Amino acid sequence: TSVQTDWRVNVLIIVLTEMRDKLRKWREDNHRNSEQIVDVGEELINEHASKLGDDIWIIYEQVMIAALDCSRDDLAWTCLQELKRQFPGSQRVKRLAGMRLEALEKYEDASKQYDSILQDDPTNTAARKRKISILKAQGKSAEAIRELNEYLEQFVGDQEAWHELSELYINEHDYGKAAFCLEELMMTNPHNHLYCEQYAEVKYTQGGLENLELSRKYFAQALKLNNRNMRALFGLYMSASHIAASPKVNATVKKANVKYATWATNQINRAYQVSYARCLL
Amino acid sequence: MAEPELLLDSNIRLWVVLPIVFITFLVGVIRHYVSILLQSDKKLTLEQVSDSQVLIRSRILRENGKYIPKQSFLMRKFYFNNQEDGFFKNTKRKVVPPSPMTDPSMLTDMMKGNVTNVLPMILIGGWINWTFSGFVTTKVPFPLTLRFKPMLQQGIELLSLDASWVSSASWYFLNVFGLRSMYSLILGQDNGADQSRIMQEQMSGAAMAMPADTNKAFKAEWEALELTDHQWALENIEEELMSRELDLDGMFSKELPTGIF
Repeated sequence: TSVQTDWRVNVLIIVLTEMRDKLRKWREDNHRNSEQIVDVGEELINEHASKLGDDIWIIYEQVMIAALDCSRDDLAWTCLQELKRQFPGSQRVKRLAGMRLEALEKYEDASKQYDSILQDDPTNTAARKRKISILKAQGKSAEAIRELNEYLEQFVGDQEAWHELSELYINEHDYGKAAFCLEELMMTNPHNHLYCEQYAEVKYTQGGLENLELSRKYFAQALKLNNRNMRALFGLYMSASHIAASPKVNATVKKANVKYATWATNQINRAYQVSYARCLL
Repeated sequence: MAEPELLLDSNIRLWVVLPIVFITFLVGVIRHYVSILLQSDKKLTLEQVSDSQVLIRSRILRENGKYIPKQSFLMRKFYFNNQEDGFFKNTKRKVVPPSPMTDPSMLTDMMKGNVTNVLPMILIGGWINWTFSGFVTTKVPFPLTLRFKPMLQQGIELLSLDASWVSSASWYFLNVFGLRSMYSLILGQDNGADQSRIMQEQMSGAAMAMPADTNKAFKAEWEALELTDHQWALENIEEELMSRELDLDGMFSKELPTGIF
């Protein structure tokens, strides 16, 4: 029987380490698969809390945020209590408490919570960003944009904030300013093809000959950075054909753009062939 | 002239060389943990954080400005460098040079630095010199001049001995600097046992004088930005892109390859 129990303990340890590694991978990759996290995390916390050692605290935080996403306030409350007990007076925990209030739509209380964090530490970026998210959740996009602009004036390097601002501007159809935000992102991440593609799409939406040319160039750049970006390929085709079809261009420009559009069409055909070949396999 | 090869008692290796290595290493590890305990929180003001980010943004503009359209680059350059109301031209920060007299926290930091690093080194160096004195420990592999003899051969009163043969105290100091890479391996980067790094910091600390010179940093950035021109990287992007067929390998596979982001 001792051999049997040894075997069971070994399996248990393997399962535990697997679950813990999964959680860690999701944490590091910033995945938002909240339901999965809640499933795995809840079991880890309830059954095997003692065996996790110091990892348990960061798992509590991860599971709590996922639980808020899935409206599991009971689980979130448990996690929060454990964290409060272990780290009393911690600003990180205070922020989590504020997030829970946000999830319960108690925006006034949440805002007060964040204000108290900011009183202690005016450089705390997380609290400021949560306050902006409250405005966004309440649908006050104009105020959110204004607050985010002020935030960015102080913290020009916050890429997450630039991206959020570009999204807010796109929703307000202010494409010029959205393009500005995306330019910041392109400069800090020159190898990210997605930012180039998004920028090109904004320029395309703005319209006008100059913007269409810019959009064609940036679709091409996105393709250069990632040959498999289908959206950029289609974008390249559309911007090139639009320019070619415009009455304001001269013959050379028209010819060049027709050439680009044709090249894009060929590549699209090739991509479809690749996908057919894969289906047949 | 052939150098007479000295044969050292192998007991020296066992009871002197190895113990000194262990002692140095352990003392380094202890220093690391003590420095963690004694670390004081450096509170940065909002302005300092903000300024450092602005400087980074300006640097990125200089380096990667070629990826955004010319108009956008010029707009940002104008914002920073404009004669009348450019950011770098106009923003003057109150400069308080943090001399040790006026800034009490700097004083305690310096004291802590000295206590954790210099003092143990002197104490243990002296103890090793006293304990392991009177014999030759090891030979350095390169020839040294006679000038080094009094420094490296403390306690060995032999006039004819080659300066390459050194005493245990020099072996100790050799270890202190040599074990630096071991510390990085075991304690991770940025560890408190890194003696030479700390000495470097102390030396350059006087030169850097902390972010008190934000004004100078701003001026330097202004000059650098003035000199930067915009060379658009996307000038001939279409020709470059269309010079060959797209590489569609692995396009519709289930696993997404993590590209360079």
